Amino acid sequence: MAETDDRSLRRGGWVPYGLLSPGVLWLALFFLVPLFTLVRVSLSTQESRFEQKFSFTWEFKNFSDVLSEFGDIFLRSFGYAGVATLLCVAIGYPMAYFIAFRGGRYRNLLLGLVVVPFFTSYLVRTIAWVSIMGDEGPFLDLVRALSLDGALDQIGITDNGRLLATEWAVIGGLTYNFLPFMVLPIYVSLEKIDIALVDAAKDLYSGAARSFRKVTLPMSLPGVFAGTLLTFIPASGDFINAEFLGGPKNTMIGNVVQQQFLVQNRYTSAAAISLILMVIITAGVLVYAKLLGTEDIA
Amino acid sequence: MNRQFRRQQVRRDLSRRQFLGRSAAFAGAVALGPTILAACGGDDDDDASAGGRSLHVDNWPLYLDEESAALFEEQTGISLTYTTVVNDNNEYFATIQPSLSNGDKVEADIFVLTGWMAKRLIDLGWVDELPLADVPNASNLVDSLVNPAWDPTGKFSLPWQSGLTGIAYNRAAAGRELTSVEDLFDPEFSGKIGFLLEMNDSLGLVLRADGVDPESVTFEQAGPAFDRIEAAVSDGQIRQFTGNDYQDDLIAGNFVACVSWSGDVGQLALDEPDLAFVIPDEGGMIWSDTMLMPKGGENVEAAAEWMNFCYDPVNAARIAAYVGFLSPVTGVQEELRKSEETAAMADSEVMFPPASADVVAFNPDLDEEERAQFDDRWAEITTS
Repeated sequence: MAETDDRSLRRGGWVPYGLLSPGVLWLALFFLVPLFTLVRVSLSTQESRFEQKFSFTWEFKNFSDVLSEFGDIFLRSFGYAGVATLLCVAIGYPMAYFIAFRGGRYRNLLLGLVVVPFFTSYLVRTIAWVSIMGDEGPFLDLVRALSLDGALDQIGITDNGRLLATEWAVIGGLTYNFLPFMVLPIYVSLEKIDIALVDAAKDLYSGAARSFRKVTLPMSLPGVFAGTLLTFIPASGDFINAEFLGGPKNTMIGNVVQQQFLVQNRYTSAAAISLILMVIITAGVLVYAKLLGTEDIA
Repeated sequence: MNRQFRRQQVRRDLSRRQFLGRSAAFAGAVALGPTILAACGGDDDDDASAGGRSLHVDNWPLYLDEESAALFEEQTGISLTYTTVVNDNNEYFATIQPSLSNGDKVEADIFVLTGWMAKRLIDLGWVDELPLADVPNASNLVDSLVNPAWDPTGKFSLPWQSGLTGIAYNRAAAGRELTSVEDLFDPEFSGKIGFLLEMNDSLGLVLRADGVDPESVTFEQAGPAFDRIEAAVSDGQIRQFTGNDYQDDLIAGNFVACVSWSGDVGQLALDEPDLAFVIPDEGGMIWSDTMLMPKGGENVEAAAEWMNFCYDPVNAARIAAYVGFLSPVTGVQEELRKSEETAAMADSEVMFPPASADVVAFNPDLDEEERAQFDDRWAEITTS
């Protein structure tokens, strides 16, 4: 078997490369070249905010500067993204489980419903939250009607009776916006599980909880892994939710990058922040993959 | 995928200054380069190649009525490409910076930016002198805007519209009339106060309350006002920094009061009689958006005809009636009075503030470093 594969590969040796070339070209043009520029700019000095003239000076100070200036915002971003990711797992896993094993003939319909929000712009959905969560909006009306406002204030979900411009509004928005990215991969991995394996576990006197823990969960871990990456990575760089749902005290690192690039015209700082974000996330993903032992699917 | 969404979003017709600053965010896509701007701009190149004359104007949303645009084309035979891509001064600056700092041309023949940004561009030498000799109607410019602080020779800029900055508030929610900047810091309204992301407006108003003149403020003098705003952010008094979307927050009851621009609230008050706009006792701010011609533009003659058209009092009155801010053209008030439909506007104190109105411009003569100090401090406060 292996030998034939080798031979066919040798015979049409250029085919795989041919197939790869559009992707490689794409990545080279739109990932490697910009990445190179980004690294260069992040290590340069900018003579004037108003000119785009950079002199490459190995300016490592850019990195220490932005870290000391925006370190707390980095931490906050990873914190928000982390909590949102956990919430996505907590909400998304049962959803995916239900659709995969209990969905029956409604399975495709239910999956469709998960995807339906994508038919509306991400931005519009977030702005819709602004109306829903507004001080006089339907959500808080309901909360007040149920006399839960005091309790929500107590546990810190709302701040003085308001939800908008608080950290939980931002985390909630992130959770809502990225939930489908969690549900879909988990669903795919659950759906592939041979139900006979679960039956076998039961035959061997495993209870429902134990067969879930020993069979279903481990087999769905690749989906959870993919889902957490698809959620955590974009969430930590997100700025839309913080922009519209958060207040000035809930800024995320994406907002800082945007501000440094487009308002302050400080390209070197913006580049340094972007690189730090990339490096931290990449390192985090590698560690995470190691811990979860899922290098093969990463 | 998100970026794509955002780009679609940019093309939605946002009201003037809506999402100011915030829009800088999703306009990131626009900022990718002049090519995308060009794509938004339409097809003036085709017209030029067909031998016709053309003109490309970049302006803020809701700053020109369709009738005036059509009339201009009809009267002059010039093919007008009019875009509303300017949502924020800094954001627009970021889109033209790569070309102009490199000595290259940009798509627009005329763009409209606020005075302080006009000053920056004039100082950088990125704009050409206007062909004012071919704009006889330019003599209709109101006296107060002749040789303004941002353009002391008056050669580089011609104002498009001006506006006032004051306080907008919801009478019912406030439970009383608000008259002072101090009301914005009243703990009674904690978490229900909005400030504009545009530093000149928000800082300017607080400076006036502190008795500092925004026209000549230094970074040191601004210190207490900055500190005061920062403290109000950290103790939760200020809920949000907004662009034009403060209107939504006012209507939705998220804000009781906020720093706001003059033209908008008058329109909103038609539907929401509880909303009011007031120039605070300590004084308000006035600003102007002004036409500029980027360096190396070719359609100079067409640009002159455009300015002349817009400075004709009849046309200026039509534009003013649509826009609702302060027209820089003399004779507009008389023109508005002529028609029954617009007569009420001629008496509006928001569109034609009395000479006694206490408003000044934020126009300190800052060099690049000083301006950066202001910007950095402001960024620190708004994204803490």
